[in-house]
Amino acid sequence: MIITKKKPNEEILESLSGAHTVFVAGCGSCALKCANSDEKSVALMKEFLEQNGKKVLQAFTVESACDMRLVKRDLLKNENFKNADAVLALSCGAGVQAIETVCAKEVIPALNSSYVGTTERIGVYKKFCSVCGSCVLALTGGICPKTRCAKGLVNGPCGGFVNGKCEIDADKDCAWVLIYEKLKKNGALDKFVNQYLKPA
Amino acid sequence: MKFKEKLESGKFLITAELFPPKGVDVSAFLRRAQSLKDLDAVNVTDNQRASMRAGSLAMCKLLLERGIEPVLQLTCRDKNRIALQSELLSANILGIENVLILSGDHTDAGEYKGTKTVYDLDTVQLIKTARLLETGFDLAGKKLSGAPKFCVGAVVNPSATPDELQALMLEKKVKAGAEFFQTQTVFDAARYKNFYDKVKHTNAVILPGVTLIKSPKFMSFLQSLPGVYIPQEVQDRINGAADPLAEGIKICAQTIKELRSFARGVHIMAIGMEEFIPEIIRASCVL
Repeated sequence: MIITKKKPNEEILESLSGAHTVFVAGCGSCALKCANSDEKSVALMKEFLEQNGKKVLQAFTVESACDMRLVKRDLLKNENFKNADAVLALSCGAGVQAIETVCAKEVIPALNSSYVGTTERIGVYKKFCSVCGSCVLALTGGICPKTRCAKGLVNGPCGGFVNGKCEIDADKDCAWVLIYEKLKKNGALDKFVNQYLKPA
Repeated sequence: MKFKEKLESGKFLITAELFPPKGVDVSAFLRRAQSLKDLDAVNVTDNQRASMRAGSLAMCKLLLERGIEPVLQLTCRDKNRIALQSELLSANILGIENVLILSGDHTDAGEYKGTKTVYDLDTVQLIKTARLLETGFDLAGKKLSGAPKFCVGAVVNPSATPDELQALMLEKKVKAGAEFFQTQTVFDAARYKNFYDKVKHTNAVILPGVTLIKSPKFMSFLQSLPGVYIPQEVQDRINGAADPLAEGIKICAQTIKELRSFARGVHIMAIGMEEFIPEIIRASCVL
């Protein structure tokens, strides 16, 4: 899912400075799972905006803000949505732009989109995939060097790993050492030596 | 004899490296270069440790004009495939054939933290790209008007653990077209021998790196660099020496002497103290 992080309140207020009436649009998908668009977060945002002089016409959670079909179904006929000076979207950038595309209103993001994350538990996410469009996991033991190597090297490591850790972060495993251990376990090191991944 | 020919000659090769200036005053660079005029080749680093300095290409040209055969270091960190190929062609036009291809220290470890890194090509891809350009074509499949000719080098770190992974990378870079290797610094010749035994079947010409430790403070700095291993005995000798620089010269010369028995050469990194390199080399012959 898309991992999001709430923007600072000051930035949100600054972005909404030209709007008096606001429609708060939450997202019932990834942002909700990140606890950035759940019932409590949406209510808190509404309260915060009202405390700062905004008139919140409605706070409503779209099933999935990045799905233009659902945005059209749930928002286009909503009078509060239509009347609001601006829409504050508690969603990822794909959701913000889906809403903007279907309504052409001023849509302000309340969240920053960080990465495609793998969930370990709520609040603990791993960046394992860069959605690069040319997956190499079949060749790298199911561990993505494009994402998990700090340099994104696809044909093997640099010389900076120290005891299996990355040269720029002693707490982070070197992706290529993980790949090496996996390929070694699978008896696939010969394949690694002879394998060449061309520039994407 | 060119460096490329020397690689096949069986001669014990000695190279060193110089940093370009941070600024436009090249006087110290040229003074240091004078100490290295009898070496087999002299590398010029490419914004080493992700710092910002004058370009390797310009400094290589200055060396060439003074009869010193340069090795252009080229990292994948700062340039995309267009700029990397262009740099390789430019080098060749200026008469520079030797290139050492590295991934480059990550910007988060340097003085420009947060800088966008490129790594559009990795080292294996860039080695193959240099070889491709020699065939008269570029990565886009376009024909070149005049093909360059290179002597392509690469790096490995014999001290990185697991070292088997570095040995595999050496083999992979040989397959990609690397003709010679210069390594991360080695202070323990016996430990390097263990690595060398893992890769000698490739017949690659490997010049293990040796570094002159000039002071205890400099030694601490070295230890903070990725993948540098300094044995306790060396640490004790530097820390206990009345004249740490003299002791550093002795340690460096002793390491080279030990390496002479099985290595094809050495790559000396004196880091601003290049004037002592001739003394180190002399001492390594007579110790």
